[in-house]
Amino acid sequence: MIEYVFLLLGVILMITGSIGVLRFPDVYTRLHASTKCDTGGAMSILIALTIVAEAPMLIKVKFLILAFLIAMINPMIAHAIARGAHKSGVEPEGIIDIYARDGF
Amino acid sequence: MSRIPLYLKERIEEVNKRALLDSFESQKLPRWEKTAITWFALMIFWMVVSASFHWQNILIGSIVTFIVSLLMYDMFTGDIQSSGNVVIKTLRILLLYIPQYIFIMAFRLLESNLKVMKHAIFLDINPGIVKIDSDLHSQTGLTILANSITLTPGTMTIDTVRKLDESKLYVHWIDVETMDRDKAGSMIKGDIEEWLKNIFW
Repeated sequence: MIEYVFLLLGVILMITGSIGVLRFPDVYTRLHASTKCDTGGAMSILIALTIVAEAPMLIKVKFLILAFLIAMINPMIAHAIARGAHKSGVEPEGIIDIYARDGF
Repeated sequence: MSRIPLYLKERIEEVNKRALLDSFESQKLPRWEKTAITWFALMIFWMVVSASFHWQNILIGSIVTFIVSLLMYDMFTGDIQSSGNVVIKTLRILLLYIPQYIFIMAFRLLESNLKVMKHAIFLDINPGIVKIDSDLHSQTGLTILANSITLTPGTMTIDTVRKLDESKLYVHWIDVETMDRDKAGSMIKGDIEEWLKNIFW
């Protein structure tokens, strides 16, 4: 029963991330939507698979290792994209930009 | 300080810098403890990935991971603080700190997903990039802090600046509430930095 809750949560989070990517105004705010919702959605779908899969315990732990790797790697990719966008001159919308003011 | 000649002042600053570096170096673990921790972590990873308890499997795995940990001992564990016995330290990290961190971050991640959902539907955003200070000085600790900030609600790290005695983070905040550096730091970092100070220097 609880695996359906996790699967539904994952699907809803993925759809929300896609809506956010379409609606937000610039690169940085779009990265917010894609990073957080992808991480949460993929991790909850993997937890649901861990509960459902008919396999020995050590095979199930591999799903958890995948979830751990996703949680480690996704923020780094967002960090790299945001820094690269700022270095190549994409101006962020908003009220303050201390990163440009400090001369990077 | 203004009465000191210029060459003496530079010399004093250099000595201070070296003393700070030495105090950081003395907090590191000795070499065989680093090797042992790396071997232990690699061995657990090997057992989970290969998924078999045959004795040949365990023998091959222990030999290969021992060679790798002799070569790579400084890579993962070079930034761990030294305090107390190594076995107690490893057990405390594995059984207390890591479950605590996973428990904190799971609820933070759920909260941040719900917050992005709210922002995507109502579009009530007020973005900006702010600068905060951090008390962590090691590379691994700063990396984990930046990743955690990216996964907590409403914030995303853009760049980190690490010097010998001060480290700064540039954070993109989707709904800027305050420009003050200390207040913004305590609002963004929360209790994650206190947790990370238990392990890294």
